[in-house]
Formats: sequence, structure tokens, C-alpha cells
Amino acid sequence: MEAFSGLLTGFSVILTPENLYLCFLGSLIGTLVGVLPGVGPLAALALLLPITFTMSPVGGMVMLSSIFYGAMYGGSTTSILLNIPGEAASVVTCIDGHEMAKQGRAGAALGIAAIGSFVAGTLGVIVMTFFAPAIAAVAIRFGPPENFALMVLGVVCTLFMISGSPVKGVLMMALGFLVAAVGIDVVNGRERFTFGSVNLSAGVELLAVVIGLFGLTEVLSNVERLAKSSVVTDRIRNLWPSLADWHASWRPMLRGSGLGFLLGLVPGGGPVTASFMSYALEKRLSDQPERFGKGAVEGVAGPESANNAAVAGSLIPVLSLGIPGNPVTALLLGALVIQGIQPGPLFMTQRPDLFWGIVASMYVGNVFLLLLNLPLVGLWAQLLRVPYRVLFPIVLLLSVVGTYSANKNVFDLWVMLGFGIAGYVLNKLEYDLAPFVIAFVLAPLLEQSLRQSLAMSPDGAMIFAQRPGTALMLVASAVLVVLMFRRRRKNTGGNS
Amino acid sequence: MKRTIAFALVAALIATPAASQSGDAKADLTKLKPKDFPTGPIEYTVVYPAGGGMDVTARLLAKHVEKWSGDKIVVNNRTGGAGMVGHSYLATQAKPDGYTVGVLANLMWGDAMLRAQGRWVYTDLEPIGYLNSDPLSWVGPTEGPYKDLTVKQIVQAAKDKPNTVRAATVPGSMWDYILDQVEANTGAKFLRVPFQGGGAGINALAGGNVDIAQGFYSEFRGLAEAGKVRPIGVAASERMTFMKDAPTINEALGGNEYQWIIIRFAVVPKGTPADRKAYLGATVQAAMKDPDLIAEYQKAGVYFDPKLTDASRMEANLKDYAEREREFYVKTGRLK
Repeated sequence: MEAFSGLLTGFSVILTPENLYLCFLGSLIGTLVGVLPGVGPLAALALLLPITFTMSPVGGMVMLSSIFYGAMYGGSTTSILLNIPGEAASVVTCIDGHEMAKQGRAGAALGIAAIGSFVAGTLGVIVMTFFAPAIAAVAIRFGPPENFALMVLGVVCTLFMISGSPVKGVLMMALGFLVAAVGIDVVNGRERFTFGSVNLSAGVELLAVVIGLFGLTEVLSNVERLAKSSVVTDRIRNLWPSLADWHASWRPMLRGSGLGFLLGLVPGGGPVTASFMSYALEKRLSDQPERFGKGAVEGVAGPESANNAAVAGSLIPVLSLGIPGNPVTALLLGALVIQGIQPGPLFMTQRPDLFWGIVASMYVGNVFLLLLNLPLVGLWAQLLRVPYRVLFPIVLLLSVVGTYSANKNVFDLWVMLGFGIAGYVLNKLEYDLAPFVIAFVLAPLLEQSLRQSLAMSPDGAMIFAQRPGTALMLVASAVLVVLMFRRRRKNTGGNS
Repeated sequence: MKRTIAFALVAALIATPAASQSGDAKADLTKLKPKDFPTGPIEYTVVYPAGGGMDVTARLLAKHVEKWSGDKIVVNNRTGGAGMVGHSYLATQAKPDGYTVGVLANLMWGDAMLRAQGRWVYTDLEPIGYLNSDPLSWVGPTEGPYKDLTVKQIVQAAKDKPNTVRAATVPGSMWDYILDQVEANTGAKFLRVPFQGGGAGINALAGGNVDIAQGFYSEFRGLAEAGKVRPIGVAASERMTFMKDAPTINEALGGNEYQWIIIRFAVVPKGTPADRKAYLGATVQAAMKDPDLIAEYQKAGVYFDPKLTDASRMEANLKDYAEREREFYVKTGRLK
């Protein structure tokens, strides 16, 4: 009941012309930020932060949070159309989304992405409305051992993502772990594998890696086949998702929503991890995993839902405990602090107008975003008709600007170039790039939680057995690995 | 209640001189303003991510400097390597033309002394204005076996049963240094759990995953007000007005070396023309006389070090603090 009265308070706060306008503006900016590669929600929020100083706290927060989830809507656009991730949480959408676009089904992919985002965003807010305090109380108990077990589960799921040669896939994962190890050691604070370079002391920038591996690699591969004049030469079929697409998508959307929400709650997790894990999960559950990577609509529906749900999930610890789990939510917290508001466990009772106002605005914002994004689908899909000789300089420009804008560090451009060339070569040799990226994303969390767990345990690795949640997840991971090997052996046994 | 009184007091103290000066401040700035400067926006470089304590400090400063000087300020976050990337940029790459100002903390000294490998030294960045000081506090749990213990009792527990008290720390920084000092002086031994920042450690404390954590007031205020954690000691020379019940760690353990404080100040790269440097310093000092800005900073639980608020002694005293830090590194074998 408290939730209903709270929600009423929220809507009474939010349904003013000014706040509705700010919510719409945030949704619009968020969509744009998502569409533009490189300019992620973090950069946009940092840029717009000063503008919110003059707004009311509610108005400012409504606008900033709508940019955050709006970016998740727009992020899939360039992933699908150009194979450049609009932002890091849409990297995985490139794999099947762009494949769909090449088959003339860009409209279907874009439509499913938008609707999946809406479903997940709305489900996320509903859960937030009713369970935020209860979830926050559980989430704060989640310690390093639990995080570690969750990351192990994630890595095991990734093994299922590997298509083609398993040896090559595992090799790419190992390479991902290796590159992620560059930077500052999380335990002793010393530099490692940096070769004395200041630029490497920060580690290798994720955005530079993915824009290189996906965007640049795509350009290089396409330029090679210059005979092809545009991404899609033949007729663009099915501007809208077909009945079969719907049928294939609704379950991944729901699963992605659940998974994304959970991963949003985890410190260090968030939309990026959520989208990867959802992709791995869908591939694992699919009857025809071989369709993945060749334009499976589930590979768009799952991750695009997961990254939106993760936004809702990651807002819970910030708003109900004052604990940010990722850089974007840390920035939202900063925005509140500048307004003189310190969120903490008492935030909901002390500032119900703000808490419920933000929640209510998310219902409204998701509707705005759906209305904004669906009509654009047709327009975006036409972009694929642009001749490639016109398109590829634009893609290059976007890649360079996007990479540079993240840290304003020229070194990142070299990283992007390096990974672009590496990606092109690896593609030729039929190495899968996705396992590399997911290992790269998961590695820091995995390493940190493992070493924290061991540091906080007087009995070494026994800590993983002593905690029921941790033990359960680790056993589940082990079972999955065994299952995978048995299936693989059966397959190879049947073939020979 | 206590906070309100302290706040009112400080506001009153500051408001009086400010009222008489506010008219002059703008005139003074116009007098100091060099010809043809600034013709474009001035960039405040923050070496930590947007939204953190340092970033909020810089953005509030920018807002008030704009108000007093009329100049356009852009806050830019150059992050990475726990501040090292931004510090190196400011010291070695940024043009000393007055358009680059660093808004940073004394953590820069540690980077210069321990990590810069001779590529730059801390005096390459010249202080132009002091902002505020934020002491590291020890925070204890409100449930479990350590829930009512004082700093002294917890240290005793870590001495009686070494490697059982789990302490959150941030590797290679003041979080670690104070534990080093306590262990060396008392014979206690903590089980150190590494985190990427103070806030993460405080959260682990609230979740029962560590037994003590360390952090800044703004990081634990929300959880402390809700009774999830409690400040038990502060690593400063005096108690803080907003948490009078927490003794200084010097008081608790009997010593005078447990002082670990984030000192925030603005710098320009060495070689910035003297007139521009003077003007930029004056704009920062004008903003720091604004009671609104002081009140904003107070909300975050910082204090103002009298040795540094006096602009004429600020640079010398900062240097003094830096040299004391160097002594600590030499004494503990971190620096040769």
C-alpha cells in the first residue's frame, strides 16, 4: 500500500509541465547519446551536470536519469546498422543485430530492440516501486565472495558463447583476461604490464577496444569488398518485426529483464555486464545455438532488454542506500550532493517527493522513449541504402570522435586503431571477437572479488564453501561445465 | 542539532567580512585582470571521475568563480590510474597559459614522490588557492561482535587475535598508511581487505563483510544517520564539529602522527605567466569568501585549515605538509 501512495506522490510531483518537459528532453538527449558511438551516458551526464544546478532537485534528477536509460534505447541503433556499438552496453547487439541488418531485417532488429528496452525498463521500474527497500537490504549483504561466484558463473556462460572452434574461443578469452590485467593491481596498488607508460597505467580503455574491434574492423572488411556499394543492396524487407520474431523474442526479453535487473544491483556490475551475460544465456538456452552470430533475433532481444533492466537495478542501491555501483550512478549521486541532498537509507522517508518523483518519471520516460524510437526505426533503416563510400568516412569519423571523447586522451586513438587492425586479421583467421570482449569486461571484477575474498578470509579458499549463496553459484557453474563437456563429447562422438 | 549550531556559527563568522568585501571583491578582480585574458573558457581539470568528492568540490568552485569573475569555466575530468593520468597531464602536458587550472588534492604529492619516476615533481604544479580539508575517519559497525567497541578496543582486539579483524583499505594510499602506523606502534595486525575507494569499503562494512572501514564524512553520512555504521575516530589534529562524539585517533591511541587528511586546492602548471596566475588565484579566493560556497562545502563535512585559509601563508604551509609526507615515505622505506 505504501508503494501505491508513494507512486501517487511521485506522479503528483512529476505531472507538471516543467518536469514532463525535462523528462522528455532527457529521453531525447539520451537517445541521441546512445545513437552516437563513443558519447556514452557518463560523458553526457558529466557535460550536462552544471545545467542541473539551476533546476529543482527533482527536475535535475529526472532529466539525468532519463538520459541514462534513454542511452540504452539509442545504443542499439549504430550497433545494428553499422556494427559500431553506440555505447559499451550495446557491444553484444552488434553480433546478431548487424547480421540481421545485412539480411535486410534492420527494421525488425531495431523494433525488437526498442520494444525489449521498453518492456525491461517498465518491468524494472515496477519491481523498483514495490521492492526497492527490501532489495536494497539484500543487495548490501552481497560481498566479495558472492560477487566472485557470480562472475565465475558469467565466465562459464561465456564458454557457451563461443561459436566455431572451441580452442580458438578459449584462446580469445585468455587474451581478453591478459589485456585486462594491464593497469593498476587492485590489491597492492602497483602498476603492472604498463612498461612504464603513463597511458597504460589506467589500463586499456574498454570503449577504444570495442570501437576498434567492431567499428573499425567492419570498415576495413567492407572497404576490402568495395564492389559492394551499400550495406544492403537488395530490398529492405520487413520494416517491422514479424510474428515469428515476436514469438522468438518475448522469452529472451523477460529473461533479459530479470538477469539485467539482478546484475544492475551488483556493485561493479551494470548494463555492460548484463548485456553480455544475457547474450550468453540466450545462446545457452537456444535449441539452435548455431543460429547465433547469423542474425538470431534473440541475440538482440535479450541483451537490449538486459541493459535497460540493469539501469533500473543499479538505481536501487543509489536511491535507497546512497551507494553507487557504477560510474554513472556515482555521477547521479554527485548531482544530488551538489543540490545539497545526501541520499542514504533514510532518503525514501526524508525526501519521498524526490524518490517517488524519480520512480514515477521512469514510467513516463519509458513511454516517451518508445514513442520516440519506434517512428525512427523506418528512418534509420533507410540509412543502410547510403552508398558505402559515403558511409564509411562518417563511420570512421564517429569512431575517432567517440573514442577520443571518453577520456580526451590521444593514446586511446592508437589503441582503437591497433584493435581495429587486430580485429580485421583475427576475423580473417576466423577467430571470434565476442569471447575476447566479454573476458575483458569480466576480468577486473573477477580478479578483484577473488582477491578480496581471499584477503578477508582467515581460512583461505574455505570462505567460498562457508557462504551458502557463494557455494550454490559455484556448484551451479561446475555443473554447467560438466554438462557442456558431456554434450560436446556426445556431439563429436556421434560425428566420428 | 549540533551541526546546525556549528553551521550557523561558521556562517556568521564568514558572513561578516564577506558582506563588507563583496562589493570590493569584484572591483579587486577587475583591477587584477590581465589584458586579453581570458578570451575563452578556462578549463578546470579534475583527475577523478565525475560525481566524486573532488569533482563536486571543483564544480561548486567553478559555479562560484563564474559568479564572481564573469569568466566561463569548463570542468573537465581527466581520469585514470587513480589520478595519475590527470596529474601527469597537468604537470607535463598542459599548456601553462592560464587556461588550465587543476583542481586536485594532496594525493598528487604521493603520485609525484612515489609513482612519477622523476618525470615530474610536485612543485611543477603551483598552488593558487586553498579549498578545504577532509579528514579520513574510522567507521565501525552497529551490529556483530565489534558493534560497541572504540578505536582503542578494536586495535586491542586486532592485537590479541592477529589477522581476525577485517579492515577495509585502499591499497597504496593513506588508507593503508594509517594502518601501517597503527600496526607498527601497537603490535596489532589487521586482515586488510582491498577496495577501489573508501565508499566501497564503507558499503562492505554496512553489509557485514568487513569489521572496520575508513572514509570521508560525505561517504558515510547517509549510512551513519540511518544507524547502519558509526564513526569511531578521526585522523585529524582536532575533533570535527559535526561529529563531536568521535575522538581523534591521536586521542584514542595516544600519539600525534595519525593525521591523514585530504587537502583540496587549485593549481596552475609551472610557467603560467605571473599576472594570469595572480588573477586566477584571486578569482578562487573571491569565490572562497562567498558564504554560499562555504555553506555548500560545509554540507559535505569538510573543515577549513587555518594554516591554509590565510592566503599569504598557504603556499609555504602546503609545502611544509608535503615535506612531512616525504619524511613519512622515507621513514617507512617507500622512498629512498
